[in-house]
Amino acid sequence: PHKQISGVSSGCQQGGCLTCSDYNGCLSCKPRFFMHLERIGMKQIGVCMTSCPPGFYGTRSPERNTCTKCRSECDSCFNKNFCTRCRAGFYLHLGKCQESCPEGLVRSDTQRECV
Amino acid sequence: SERPTLRAVIKVTLLKHEPTGKPIVLEGVFVGGSAGKAEGKLMQYHPLSLCNTSEDERQESDFITIVKLEHRVPRCKALHDKARMALDKGAQAVIFDVSDDANAAAELREIDSLPRPVVLVEAEDAEELMGLVNKNEEAKVVIEIKMEPKWPHYD
Repeated sequence: PHKQISGVSSGCQQGGCLTCSDYNGCLSCKPRFFMHLERIGMKQIGVCMTSCPPGFYGTRSPERNTCTKCRSECDSCFNKNFCTRCRAGFYLHLGKCQESCPEGLVRSDTQRECV
Repeated sequence: SERPTLRAVIKVTLLKHEPTGKPIVLEGVFVGGSAGKAEGKLMQYHPLSLCNTSEDERQESDFITIVKLEHRVPRCKALHDKARMALDKGAQAVIFDVSDDANAAAELREIDSLPRPVVLVEAEDAEELMGLVNKNEEAKVVIEIKMEPKWPHYD
């Protein structure tokens, strides 16, 4: 029995949800949507998205498409091993975020890249 | 032989009412030979979050995980492994709401050798806990073994 908890927006009302519950939000997504587990304070609910939020990348598999967190030093990434933007204090070189740059390149704080 | 089940007392105090707030007292059942005391902030995990070991979330380690299991979520892992993964993520204890997953209770009662307390809750006790989570009411939880009353000796 699923009671609708009044006053609390639950993940159930989104378009991408296939199955859903009041406490967990989305349990499964429609085809091509990504399942993102969103932390809101002490809650964690499933949200179905057409693309993953910044700081996460999408992984497709037969059972389910999911959003997975980029490496901690990346602000955004294509996948686990290819960052596209680094966190402050790190510099992008060939898809990796490093604290220093190889010889011949210098750190650009504005772009957070080795240039 | 039927494994003796130890009951758990779950005391829940809303952080906004600390330190004087009167706790809500609920009950559950320990599984996995894991009976013992634990204390921490209540933190919900979606059942799908205990599927892969990504570096998604590494909380400070003073939290107690609660997971509402749903029979409609395909099992990506045995519940024993899910419990262990939650503990590996830093939880002081794990509470499974098995109200909507009857098989889960049976599966969880079979496991043993868990390093920290794992407790099953259902019905009103589960509804009270998940109600707090749903309203994002931050709460501190203390789990203890329920002391059953000792019957006086009649000689």
